[in-house]
Amino acid sequence: MAVPIQQQSTVRRAIKAWFDPRGRSTGLIAFALMRLSGIGLVVYLLLHLVVLSTLTGAPAPEAWDTFVRMAKHPAFLLLDVILIAGILVHMLNGLRVTVVGLGFGTNSHKGLFWTLMAVAVLLVAYAAWLIFTK
Amino acid sequence: MENQDKLPTYSGTWIWQALTGIVLVILLSLHMIAHHFVVEGGLRTYEDVLRYVANPIIIVLEVIFLGVVTYHAMAGVRAILFDLDMSDRAKTRTTRVLTVVGLILVAWGLYLSFYLFRIATA
Repeated sequence: MAVPIQQQSTVRRAIKAWFDPRGRSTGLIAFALMRLSGIGLVVYLLLHLVVLSTLTGAPAPEAWDTFVRMAKHPAFLLLDVILIAGILVHMLNGLRVTVVGLGFGTNSHKGLFWTLMAVAVLLVAYAAWLIFTK
Repeated sequence: MENQDKLPTYSGTWIWQALTGIVLVILLSLHMIAHHFVVEGGLRTYEDVLRYVANPIIIVLEVIFLGVVTYHAMAGVRAILFDLDMSDRAKTRTTRVLTVVGLILVAWGLYLSFYLFRIATA
């Protein structure tokens, strides 16, 4: 049986308030995913420039090859999958926001959101298969 | 007439974010295909990378991608920060700071691109 909200600890309630998606509107979930993935992608852009800078250092080939060796580790490949997920969620939802914002499909934007997220899940699964097996 | 009042109004930022977003779908797709599918197994070694950037078309595409993605990223961060209920003065400052950050990122990327292009074509 569910514990009444008054009996839950403050920390637990705070965590729920932030991360429990149940009972939230589709629009809010889409908005939160858009911002989270967006912040993640900005951080990635910075990391990408940092990593590419190893191509210009004095022992450039060695520094680059060391990075590539590290990038083949399964833990690193998992980060690649997370990156692909962030890109797809942001890209597909961004296209939806654009289309709906221009006045098209305003009555079916929720269905469109969940359909596109299902497409994202399938594409992430395919990308993960490529990343881990090729 | 009454209906026209209900039409949504678009802020300049929204339109630019949508436009650059659509351009990014194309540029990012090209970026990913060129990096991971054109060469068998993708660009893995230092030599692979140099061969790749020796192509002027690639450099032009990468530089356009760099500019568009940086604009889109900074405009996105700006939208998030503006939701924090800032004063107008704080908004002006935020825009200035993000413009400078964006220019630094573009300059950094340009430096990398042309440094590598020079080595690759030397």
